[in-house]
Amino acid sequence: MKDAIRRGLADFWNYRYLHGICVATIALSVFVISAFGLFLLNTGDLMASWTRGIRIIAYLAPETDEKGREAIMDTVQAYPGVAGVEYVSSEEALAWLKKEVGRQTSLLEGLVDNPLPDAVEVALSADVEGAGDITALAGKMESLSGVSDVEYARQWIERFGGIYNLFQLTSIILIGLIIAAIMMIVANTIRLILYSRIDEIKITRIIGADDAFIKYPLYCEGVMLGFAGGLAGLLLLYAAYAITVPQLSSAGLLLYFQVRFLPATMVVFILLASMTVGWLGCYLSIRRFLKV
Amino acid sequence: MKKGLFDPERIIIRLYEVSKHFGETDALVNVTFDVCRNAFFFISGPSGAGKSTLMKLLYLGEPMSSGYAIVDGMNLTRIRRNQVPMLRRRLGIIFQDYRLIPNKSVFDNVGLVLEVAGIRSRKVIRERVMAVLEKVGMAGHYDACPPTLSGGEQQRVAVARAMVGNPSIILADEPTASLDPEAAEIIFDLLVSAHSEGATIVITTHDRYLLSKGCTGIVCLKDGRCVFPDGAGR
Repeated sequence: MKDAIRRGLADFWNYRYLHGICVATIALSVFVISAFGLFLLNTGDLMASWTRGIRIIAYLAPETDEKGREAIMDTVQAYPGVAGVEYVSSEEALAWLKKEVGRQTSLLEGLVDNPLPDAVEVALSADVEGAGDITALAGKMESLSGVSDVEYARQWIERFGGIYNLFQLTSIILIGLIIAAIMMIVANTIRLILYSRIDEIKITRIIGADDAFIKYPLYCEGVMLGFAGGLAGLLLLYAAYAITVPQLSSAGLLLYFQVRFLPATMVVFILLASMTVGWLGCYLSIRRFLKV
Repeated sequence: MKKGLFDPERIIIRLYEVSKHFGETDALVNVTFDVCRNAFFFISGPSGAGKSTLMKLLYLGEPMSSGYAIVDGMNLTRIRRNQVPMLRRRLGIIFQDYRLIPNKSVFDNVGLVLEVAGIRSRKVIRERVMAVLEKVGMAGHYDACPPTLSGGEQQRVAVARAMVGNPSIILADEPTASLDPEAAEIIFDLLVSAHSEGATIVITTHDRYLLSKGCTGIVCLKDGRCVFPDGAGR
């Protein structure tokens, strides 16, 4: 194996121009896929941060007494995805409303009775994901006795969540198609490299090389091609990230949101995937060359 | 010639009624001959007679269509695919067009034979390669790539590659055909020197000058048939 790696490294250098083309192909492919991944990751983060900001308000029926209210609060607090429950009395709600309307306070001064109901405000925890979880939680709260109505940004969540889900699905399909195309491109590029070396392989065969002697260094080269291409693609993406993000920040486009780079586990996964693609490209192409 | 008693101590190559067809074309028809151990053997005949095809059959570059052949104790009609490399490691093969790997140095081209044979020690490889390059007069060009060398020099490297593994048989397919007389003389002398060290040499040629240098055995092919020494038109 050590010998195969040594010969693979030597041939990697001997055919550096052809390998350079293959590395560039893999690098561009990795760049495109990783850029998609980076975009999905950050839009996911953005969605999650917006979801975390959402609060569900359960309006209590007028006949709900303090005991009933506390029972509701205890029940809701026990639901998964609930970070905190806060009671907001009708008086507190009216005071808050007056503060919010500011100069138009006079509009509220004519009120004889406080029209606002007592309410329980629910803050969501970080593990709540998407519109589905929020709607389910709101449905459970609505079914509690003593709760007259539940309010949350249903329309907004459903509309934006729908768009995000569609985008996510489209991206996954696109990534799948790109990966399939890349596999073909890489396999064909490696096949071209092998075609250019067919005479060398024939000569090596004639002097008595067996299959292992020929294919193991080529497998090593495939893995090296994948690694070099994957690394170059990720470095390219990081350079684009490092240049673009500060510019977007200084333009004020990222005031409430921090764009992050791919996590280390994903970087390792991409590198391993590139190496696998390189090896697979070699594996798929090599069979016909072993017949010479 | 009868399919006589086979004595592996004496006979290193035996072909018995070997034929090769490419579709409707008969490249070789019922070729039969023996080559003794440590022979200096010529396969002669005009262009298109089937000399190179016969050479390919000997190292299994092509399979036989019918017949029976033994090369250095290995029965080519029964050989398994994974045994072919073992057969080829017992042979040194020289081609008219040299067949050196163009982007590997002279040293690496010759050393590859030893690597293929499983020798891992860089020191052993270096010693053996430099010794054989010295013998063919190419030690000074050990780091040159083949395209930078003349035809005669490339063929000397090819001879070094054929000799470095100490093969029992050296097959040379028109080794001097593309060389000038002086270079051809050098190559022939190198083959004579390998023969004197114990190797069996089998050369295909239509060069009368080479044939006049003498040999220990010869067959002549015409239209894929063996016409000499039997002369019976086989």
